[in-house]
Amino acid sequence: MMSMTCHNLDFGFTKTVFDLYACGCSSNASFCRSSVRNYAKSSSSSRKLVDRRRGIALCRVSSTKTPATLLSEVAQGVPPLLDLKKESRCPISLKNLFELVADDLQTLNQNLQSIVGAENPVLMSAAEQIFGAGGKRMRPALVFLVSRATAELAGLMELTMEHRRLAEIIEMIHTASLIHDDVLDDSNMRRGQETVHQMYGTRVAVLAGDFMFAQSSWYLANLENLEVIKLISQVIKDFASGEIKQASSLFDCDLKLEEYLLKSYYKTASLIAASTKGAAVFSGVDSTITQKMYEYGKNLGLAFQVVDDILDFTQSAEQLGKPAGSDLVNGNLTAPVIFALEKEPKLRDIIESEFSEPGSLNEAIELVKSCGGIERAQELAKEKADLAIQNLQCLPESAFRLALEDMVLYNLERID
Amino acid sequence: MMSMTCHNLDFGFTKTVFDLYACGCSSNASFCRSSVRNYAKSSSSSRKLVDRRRGIALCRVSSTKTPATLLSGKVAQGVPPLLDLKKESRCPISLKNLFELVADDLQTLNQNLQSIVGAENPVLMSAAEQIFGAGGKRMRPALVFLVSRATAELAGLMELTMEHRRLAEIIEMIHTASLIHDDVLDDSNMRRGQETVHQMYGTRVAVLAGDFMFAQSSWYLANLENLEVIKLISQVIKDFASGEIKQASSLFDCDLKLEEYLLKSYYKTASLIAASTKGAAVFSGVDSTITQKMYEYGKNLGLAFQVVDDILDFTQSAEQLGKPAGSDLVNGNLTAPVIFALEKEPKLRDIIESEFSEPGSLNEAIELVKSCGGIERAQELAKEKADLAIQNLQCLPESAFRLALEDMVLYNLERID
Repeated sequence: MMSMTCHNLDFGFTKTVFDLYACGCSSNASFCRSSVRNYAKSSSSSRKLVDRRRGIALCRVSSTKTPATLLSEVAQGVPPLLDLKKESRCPISLKNLFELVADDLQTLNQNLQSIVGAENPVLMSAAEQIFGAGGKRMRPALVFLVSRATAELAGLMELTMEHRRLAEIIEMIHTASLIHDDVLDDSNMRRGQETVHQMYGTRVAVLAGDFMFAQSSWYLANLENLEVIKLISQVIKDFASGEIKQASSLFDCDLKLEEYLLKSYYKTASLIAASTKGAAVFSGVDSTITQKMYEYGKNLGLAFQVVDDILDFTQSAEQLGKPAGSDLVNGNLTAPVIFALEKEPKLRDIIESEFSEPGSLNEAIELVKSCGGIERAQELAKEKADLAIQNLQCLPESAFRLALEDMVLYNLERID
Repeated sequence: MMSMTCHNLDFGFTKTVFDLYACGCSSNASFCRSSVRNYAKSSSSSRKLVDRRRGIALCRVSSTKTPATLLSGKVAQGVPPLLDLKKESRCPISLKNLFELVADDLQTLNQNLQSIVGAENPVLMSAAEQIFGAGGKRMRPALVFLVSRATAELAGLMELTMEHRRLAEIIEMIHTASLIHDDVLDDSNMRRGQETVHQMYGTRVAVLAGDFMFAQSSWYLANLENLEVIKLISQVIKDFASGEIKQASSLFDCDLKLEEYLLKSYYKTASLIAASTKGAAVFSGVDSTITQKMYEYGKNLGLAFQVVDDILDFTQSAEQLGKPAGSDLVNGNLTAPVIFALEKEPKLRDIIESEFSEPGSLNEAIELVKSCGGIERAQELAKEKADLAIQNLQCLPESAFRLALEDMVLYNLERID
């Protein structure tokens, strides 16, 4: 029954954990527990949480079970203590992570298509282009996972309508910002497909983005929760500020790390933090928890952006779905470059020349790599990831909290 | 003391009116009444309200006076003689005079807008100056201030609130952001006689400036913490997008019905104005019967305004328009005059469906619209909406501010005289 047996125990946790095994079964049993690992007390400091590798795959559960049922059945078993040595690693699979909220995501996809597509055939095509173009739905998944992870604290048994709407709003805002970003950057490719503005022109892209911002504002207003309305409005303001910040510091080799982090917060982490906090707000937990969820989202988001910025240097065009080094060639100086600039003056000259010389872009990329810019950026990502894991400790242990931790680790694995 | 003596009495009102005369004085007296007209009862039906012409100019009042002082006593004290009721020579309504009543509010608004938009970034500042300085009338903020003050008495309010002012700023930012994006969507080079933002700074800055302003207004709106107004304005932003889409998908569509045109005009123009006037009433704290009437007033005023704009696109020259004439038509955006003309003239359909590929076909189409009576019928439509708007105001107590709101309606119609 078990098609995968890879598993590691992680000494990094200061609390007990439940690790669930993949068994590859597609049974309709509520929960397939070929084996469940038991408590492991950690002796390491919590700061090294993310140094431990672990592979976790989650059993595919029938959609007819409520989260509460899932939680109670996990607690029942008392399996034997397993070997604590580090075994061969398995990469964390987003697909498996999201299995926990697969139905929620499917409903979301249907709702999004109908909200955007119902208005007009051209928008429908543009919507399919962007919604169908391989988006991971990471932000909605975070909303659903945090909703369920905080649900137990609040005695909530099911996701509320507000939770679902929040996820839809978040994904619309995210998508609208991508469409406009591609207009602003004049990008032709995203996720291996043509961008909306490349296929349909600038006008449709501007209109589609405006329409989606407008729809999300309207749905947001009709949630009638002032705290969340203000939270999300702040994000939209931050998006615009981030774009402006980035646009006005292109090719600026004096850019400091703090400014880069602020821009990354505006452009990426702000929305994710608002997603996780908003989900907690709608779960009805108290503000200590909602604030921790905000911090989790923020640190996850920053780590995510740093990793993205690393990959722009280390991945090929095929992997990226767009040309490599596109940040750098546009003058958008990210963490690896900022670190490398501290070491290599020649890099400054090349950047300030705005890559006018043929081959200078590749030269710059090589310099960033040889100066240790990548490694230092990796450390930065791990630092933020560590903080994110810590932020989750206020939540009761559950499959959902585990999935949230694995989100952090999944992100780091992208740069292994 | 009186530099202007033109005045008309208007028989069209079913209630008493106070008409104020211009005296051109700049005194600091709260109110200069060289003469005040007295009550005139109407025998005509209220439907013909706007057939009567009247010229009104408002006395320039010192800004140190509160609206309450203006409204109280001073006007009511005099019992001047009844004036000649015959129609005299007309004076055009001056927006400038209308806005004098709220001149300080508008000045504060301008300063706040510049600092909100400009503080972020020098390029945005330049784009902001381009668009904010480019002759905008500030009609929507003026409406917010006028309705605020006109409804204030009902609620016992003595001064504009911070929410009123913020609302006006939010409205003007949304309006401006929509213009910037509209110009990108239409690929327009000129607005109000100046280059558009995207012509001067490129598409990227235009998209960014528009996004920034939408974002700022959403944030200020959220921080007003009034769910009713938040929902009202969010509906507007949704309507804007819907209106653009509606327009974009019916270009050169000669089967476009008048109702669809009115719906598009509602989405693109009247929705924001209606939300402005209703929002102002909400923040004055008046009850929902009144706020609903203010909504209707804004909606009808907005529709009339759009119809007039659409007429002017045919009747004015490029210099007057600040952009090329016939630009709606050449882009396939079929408006009221065209829709009416298409009912009469089949040849017009052919020209439009050819999308003006033949040289001189645009001018031919414009002439056909004019000769078919398309302009006249559109004028009737504008008057119909204007009538409704005047009626919507009758629930308000009479005041200089309600008068100004009525004059807004009339000012709009005068543009097509």
